[in-house]
Amino acid sequence: MWAMVVKEFRQMRRDKRTLGMMIVLPVMLLVIFGYAASFDVSKISALVVGPQAASFAKRLHAPFDPVRLAAKDGVTQAKTSLRDGQAQIVFIADKHSVRAIIDGTDLFAARAAEAAVARLASPQALLSKVLASLPPGHVLTIPASELPPKIDVLYNPGLKTAVVMVPGLAGIILVFIGTLVASLGVVRERQAGTLEQLAVMPLSPWDVLIGKIVPYFLVAALDLSIVLGAGMLLFDVPMRGSVLLLILGALLFLFVTLSLGVLISSVSENQGQAIQLAMMTILPQILLSGLIFPLSSMAIGVRWIAYVLPLTYFIEIARGVMLKGTPISDLWQPFLFLGLLGAVAVTLATLRFRRLLSPSPRRNGRPRAGTAS
Amino acid sequence: MTEPLAESRGATRRFGDHVAVDRVNLSVRPGEVVGLLGANGAGKTTLLRMLLGLLPASSGEVRLFGAAPSRATRQRIGYVPQSLGLYDDLTARENLRFAAAVFHSAPGTLPESLAAETLPLARLPLGTQRRVAFVQALAHHPDLLILDEPTSGVDPLMRARLWEVIRDASDGGMGVLVTTHYMEEAEECDRLVVMAEGRVVAEGDLPQILGEEQVVVVETDDWAAALQRMEEGAMAPALVGRTLRIAGHTVPEVEHALVGMPCTVREAPATLEERFVQITSAASRSKRS
Repeated sequence: MWAMVVKEFRQMRRDKRTLGMMIVLPVMLLVIFGYAASFDVSKISALVVGPQAASFAKRLHAPFDPVRLAAKDGVTQAKTSLRDGQAQIVFIADKHSVRAIIDGTDLFAARAAEAAVARLASPQALLSKVLASLPPGHVLTIPASELPPKIDVLYNPGLKTAVVMVPGLAGIILVFIGTLVASLGVVRERQAGTLEQLAVMPLSPWDVLIGKIVPYFLVAALDLSIVLGAGMLLFDVPMRGSVLLLILGALLFLFVTLSLGVLISSVSENQGQAIQLAMMTILPQILLSGLIFPLSSMAIGVRWIAYVLPLTYFIEIARGVMLKGTPISDLWQPFLFLGLLGAVAVTLATLRFRRLLSPSPRRNGRPRAGTAS
Repeated sequence: MTEPLAESRGATRRFGDHVAVDRVNLSVRPGEVVGLLGANGAGKTTLLRMLLGLLPASSGEVRLFGAAPSRATRQRIGYVPQSLGLYDDLTARENLRFAAAVFHSAPGTLPESLAAETLPLARLPLGTQRRVAFVQALAHHPDLLILDEPTSGVDPLMRARLWEVIRDASDGGMGVLVTTHYMEEAEECDRLVVMAEGRVVAEGDLPQILGEEQVVVVETDDWAAALQRMEEGAMAPALVGRTLRIAGHTVPEVEHALVGMPCTVREAPATLEERFVQITSAASRSKRS
């Protein structure tokens, strides 16, 4: 038995990537669950509009974080701001009433906002008792800004989990097919020795790269249609925006994930290493992209990690288009960042893949295992 | 003389401090079968990979059809790697269709027994898989066929069939470069290039490689005792049947080692295997010294 233990340690020492994974993964999970995995919303960004905005804003306290007061703005502008993600809740304070509109696509923030608005109103309950004790005929004037706000939840009125999860789930499927399955497909060629055969066929690296990617691209597109179709039919997930815009976002996102998959495959010696590396990119995306835990609840350092993950932007696009009907003019930022991430990933993937298939005469590195004899 | 299909001039490939291929000159001409012989680690596969354009030369030059290896030259090459380079989850026919589409040629013709085969290649015997690899490599009628240990792991009958294919190809004007461990296969080649320690240590046709080299043959009933005596005398005899064959020693040296033993000692022409061992051992000794 001791011999087995010693042998395992020796093999472990040689497989530096697995060793690295065994050390990095727990640290990563610690960081994620320590700093990111929180359903508690301690801050809700709030926009206050209407003629009584200034006086109503004075009533707001934690968790509300008034990001802007706009006395001249009306309901339309308020809803646009909410749709564009400028705030999680909008208060419309006019002379006679106060109305709160909550963004239902940010589930935990929306639930926290509902509860917090109810707490705002609770002094009114006390005031009602005081009013009841006043002698008849006594008139007490209460400013509208002191009245309990009426609550409306936009985009997901029932605050249903499925409604916000389905667009994100579509993203997860694209990540799995794009990154994990594609990387395994390329590594399999390498392990079987067929990549070498491809390298001596009259194919360019670009032919091989695109030829490998296209089938996964089509399968992922089919999966995406099934998931979104089922989500709309079974869970009443709406499609308020442009289907074309969603397709464009999905294609761009798939392009990023497939490029990552090819990049992973080009630096992996075998399928085990490819799976490890793919999981190292997939896990943070699932946990940090805002799919499960709200971005607003994450520590700022962890949130910055979320901002370099492609899924974060796809979820913003998918929820924006499907649930809020956001037009492209207000989604240019996630599209731009996805495009940038895609450009970086495809450049690195192409360079690595080209190196695999047609080596540069200037390089003079060590051979991979088993190539020299 | 016709222009070489593949040629290396002073081709060298270094991996860090290790020189895998050291100033190798080699050429393959149309209709010629060139055998590349060498022990494991001699540099054969590295040289093949350089000729295929899979590895750049650290110095020296590699040319295919008179030009540097490129995408255009690949159209004229048929290659069977050691690993076969076939998709073992596809059927033989599907593999051929893929290669034909890449080379814009008609799919190769499979033997009748294989043409209707619906099993994936992984479930077919190794010899059959190698046969499919040959059909695939020849389907686009290449000018140069490069084979890396093409009959490794197949039975003698299949080996003979595969060599028939190689011979037919060269008779049709195709140049063939083949690496092998099997000496009986090497004897099938028109020309042999022996590599050791990354260098070419012998080159020529079979008679040229063998030269006048002789070995000492010992015939005795007590071969076990003779073997022991010779090993004590720092000789390395090979037991072939009930005779002992000793390369690199003279008859008097062997007789001296076996003095007093009833035996017959005579000289015989060296086989290719014995010559190969002599050449490569001398190259290794020379490198160490």
